[in-house]
Amino acid sequence: MQLNHAQRELTLKVVYYGPGLSGKTTNLQQLHARTSREVRGRLMTVETRDDRTLFFDLLPVFFESSSGYKVKVKLFTVPGQVIHNATRRIVLQSADAVAFIADGRRSATEDNNAYWRNLEENMRENGLDPAEVPRVIQFNKRDLPDARTDEEMEEARHRGREPVIGAVAIRGEGVLETFHAVLKEAWRALDGRHGLARLVGLDEDEFLHKLLDPMDLAGTALETLYGAGRVAGVRRGGS
Amino acid sequence: MSAALPPQPTPVRRGSSLHRRPRLGELLDGDSFTDVVRGFCELYKVGIKVFDERGGKLVDIHVGNGDFCGYVFSFPEGRHRCTATVGRVKDGPLALTDDARAPLMQEPAPHGLITVPCFTGLRYLVMPVLWEGDVLGRVVLGPFVPEDLDGLPETLTRIGALDLARAEQLLSRVRRAPEGAVARVVEHFCQVLEALVASGQKVFLTSAVHIEATLETNRQLEEQNRRLEEMNQRLKELDRLKSSFLATVSHELRTPLTSIIGYSEMLAEGLAGALNGEQSEYVHTIMEKGETLLKLISSILDLNQIEAGKVRLVFESVQLRQLVASAVSSVTPQAQKKGVRLESHAPSGELVPVMADRDRLRQAVVNLLANAVKFTPPGGTVKLSLSPVEPQPELVAPGYRVVVEDSGVGIARDELDKIFRSFYQVDGSSTREYGGAGLGLAIVKSFVEGHGGQVNVESTVGLGSRFTMVLPSRPADPQHPVQVALPGAHGEPDRF
Repeated sequence: MQLNHAQRELTLKVVYYGPGLSGKTTNLQQLHARTSREVRGRLMTVETRDDRTLFFDLLPVFFESSSGYKVKVKLFTVPGQVIHNATRRIVLQSADAVAFIADGRRSATEDNNAYWRNLEENMRENGLDPAEVPRVIQFNKRDLPDARTDEEMEEARHRGREPVIGAVAIRGEGVLETFHAVLKEAWRALDGRHGLARLVGLDEDEFLHKLLDPMDLAGTALETLYGAGRVAGVRRGGS
Repeated sequence: MSAALPPQPTPVRRGSSLHRRPRLGELLDGDSFTDVVRGFCELYKVGIKVFDERGGKLVDIHVGNGDFCGYVFSFPEGRHRCTATVGRVKDGPLALTDDARAPLMQEPAPHGLITVPCFTGLRYLVMPVLWEGDVLGRVVLGPFVPEDLDGLPETLTRIGALDLARAEQLLSRVRRAPEGAVARVVEHFCQVLEALVASGQKVFLTSAVHIEATLETNRQLEEQNRRLEEMNQRLKELDRLKSSFLATVSHELRTPLTSIIGYSEMLAEGLAGALNGEQSEYVHTIMEKGETLLKLISSILDLNQIEAGKVRLVFESVQLRQLVASAVSSVTPQAQKKGVRLESHAPSGELVPVMADRDRLRQAVVNLLANAVKFTPPGGTVKLSLSPVEPQPELVAPGYRVVVEDSGVGIARDELDKIFRSFYQVDGSSTREYGGAGLGLAIVKSFVEGHGGQVNVESTVGLGSRFTMVLPSRPADPQHPVQVALPGAHGEPDRF
């Protein structure tokens, strides 16, 4: 998190982490496609010739809070290939939350575990406490034959504290739900640690609404909670 | 005591460039950007200025307005008002305040575009350069003469000394265009600029992260090197401790063992009274096993001293024929007992004496012979051949060869380079067929190399092995060991 009181700017960083080819870039591409131009920057991808992410992708989304703060959320992906560990570590520096994109196929379990451990190791190397930086797990590729069943996903959910979300990122399913969950976790963690809401005069409800209202939420579980027509920043009773 | 390591600097992590917002000037290549802007200006006949967020000028191309503005500027009031307008355009708010208004056009105006009128009737269009919602700078297009301008405005004509005809004439050189058309030019220009900024941003991040990743990799490698260095130091220390421990233990074992053997000998010789057949047999077994044990301990001690660099070879003139004969005779009882034939071949005629450490060289030959006898089944043959002193391909100096061949079990190819290691036996199991501690060949190797020679082995499993020692006839003086100069270690002084 970067908070610049003088310029009234708040920047959060969310990193999409996970094994190679698990769908991190696809998540960002879907988010980019569903976000209106006014609240997002370009999706920047540096690719190698084999179409796999070399360095990272970067998608910034931003809004201005009713308290006059410019709030920016920078979404990064890391390169999944094993050899790019140094780049992964650099991209992970000072992350506020991590969306771990796991390949939801059973055959990928070993890879997922290896990258989860790699994430924890790189977090520690960067001085990030895995217990303090919230993580959200997405089980992607749920449409593939070898994918984990709902019961197996439940089992994975109970094995840790992280929210677990199923997805078929290539069709946009679960992408916004993951984004929403990771934003919420990031906000709560930062607010808990730094009293962010008081510092910048922005509450969780406004934070989430300002980011999600301008998105195309059609067909997602968030459709009834956010979206066009709803007044951003207004706390509704009971929600 | 372990060697002290230099203190390691704690790695300092700089803030990643991923978290820094680059300035507009860093994202654009100055010269090529100026070319692009100049192309635009020539195409549309209107000037363009680009400023970064702090008001720093990146590009400033004038088209057509120079003479008119220069003329107006030559009057004190004109200068005063011109400076105010330029200040408004360059540093004023990017909002519809301070004289700025929305552009006059049919279509919806591009986001953020404002019109700033000049007191001369000319106009400027100002558009922010936006990136990720941040203002990175501004584009100023103009001044141009708006299509709707009808004659010189009063704000200009009231400047007393102004020659109106001349002003009109100079004004006609300034591009006249509808404001909406100019607005579209700005919009188009900003799209081009955004594309340039996007690729600039990409290059900026890519190179920055590439450098950081390289530094990070380097940091990791240095860390690993440091750990290896530490580990190496510890291993060296352990090795030294092991050697010292072995030396102590061997010495401590030898003392009581000598007594055991001595008293057994006294018993066997009947000094404590006559022994019956069975008792004598037992005592001889005790003596024999004691001797075996003593030999083993001596070997350990020898090897240990060699490894610790404590053995100094003492070279003297040696008659090889005698030395070999003595070695053969010492393994003869062993061979006879096992039923292995022992042959010795030496060149006929007088042999030139060589310089060698007599005892150690003899020990090496004995070890090779004993090893051959041990691994050759009854009925087999062990053959020793001695060469004359002559030039040897393996050595730079003249030398001689001692070859020990057997018709024993042989050694598998992948074991060949291991058999000279201490405590190594091809059959490493506890129930192995052949005894011994696996020190004999290690000692041979150490002694031969101490002479500046080498030992090697060829073998075929099931057919037998051939060990060859090649030794120089005049080894280098061990008191003054030969030193090999490392390239660069001595020689030319440092260049810088």
